[in-house]
Amino acid sequence: MELQDMKDRWNEYDRKLEANLRLNTQVLRELALNRVGSSLKWLSRKIVFELLIDLVAILALGAFTANHLGEPRFLVPALALDLFVIGFVAWSIRQWAEIGSLDYGESIVTIQRKLELLKIDRIRMTKWVLLLSPLLWIPLLIVTLKGLGGLDAYAIFPARWLAANLLLGLAVIPLMLWVSKRYADRMQGSPLVRGLVNALADRSLNDATRFLGTLSSFEKENG
Amino acid sequence: MTALDPQDRFLALLEEHDKILYKVASSYCRNPEDRRDLIQEIVVQLWRSFGKFDDSYRFSTWMYRIAINVAISFYRSQSRRTRDTVPVEESILEIADPGAAEDSDNIRLLHHFIGQMDELNRALMILYLDGNSYDTIAEILGISTTNVATKISRIKERLRRDFAGA
Repeated sequence: MELQDMKDRWNEYDRKLEANLRLNTQVLRELALNRVGSSLKWLSRKIVFELLIDLVAILALGAFTANHLGEPRFLVPALALDLFVIGFVAWSIRQWAEIGSLDYGESIVTIQRKLELLKIDRIRMTKWVLLLSPLLWIPLLIVTLKGLGGLDAYAIFPARWLAANLLLGLAVIPLMLWVSKRYADRMQGSPLVRGLVNALADRSLNDATRFLGTLSSFEKENG
Repeated sequence: MTALDPQDRFLALLEEHDKILYKVASSYCRNPEDRRDLIQEIVVQLWRSFGKFDDSYRFSTWMYRIAINVAISFYRSQSRRTRDTVPVEESILEIADPGAAEDSDNIRLLHHFIGQMDELNRALMILYLDGNSYDTIAEILGISTTNVATKISRIKERLRRDFAGA
């Protein structure tokens, strides 16, 4: 078959659409286009929501830190949490700004590359949050008990228990990576679990990197 | 003479180029429900970007860019964000006789051929079949004109090889 045959078929398709297709402007008006969200708008809203929660966390942690400046046993876990949240906020703000600057009217290769880099950034962030979480739960416990209930975690739990949990957090990280890589296929149920497992197992990252390679190869004349 | 309201102007231009909407969506989604969601997503993105549309450019070129960009993202998205689409009873695009438009062997073979391509070559094929010049295709895709010519020539060879008896 020749490409001209394909073009003739496409022209036939075009004629049939010309005769049969009608834009339902009534539905479009009722749809209230300004209020309908696109996928990116949804992601942007999600980031803003995360930022608001993080802002509350920073304020609360800031107040806690100020109140315990002279007590390193409370100050250190609070600063660890602060650092984590501030890093997360900086990352989120950068992503939010990048989404806002996207112009879908740019060329296909440009926009697809920007979207893929954004996706890679998001996957990396998810992975770091997941990996650091087991390490941060003991500082979170110490700060939450003191901040919300006025309780001293060091007095409630033996020092050995706290240290063991910190070490357990460290041990859980390679375990999480191994489980995600080994059982990723079986853990594809809900979109949330799938997203987390694929981020941990580097599947999403590999897929995005592959597509970036495809884009580069597409740009090359011999690609 | 009064100037048209932006939304009226947008709808008039969209109506004039509604075939682009349908052809792009059909080339990336064969499932009617996904296609309806994709059409809605494209229209929403077109409307959101309409403020940046420069009148000195052809509307169709701008529309292809946005429609194909959205379609590729939609196609690559593993989880459809159905909560973002407004459940509408009626479709944005209506086909008076869907059988006549889609159900001939010619059209099926056409979609089969396009469906075998990756996301980017599919975009190139749609633009080529729709009669765009190599320069316009290059501008929309963001690659050089000679690259477009090279890729079209490869597609021609592939077509001869893979569909020899068709």
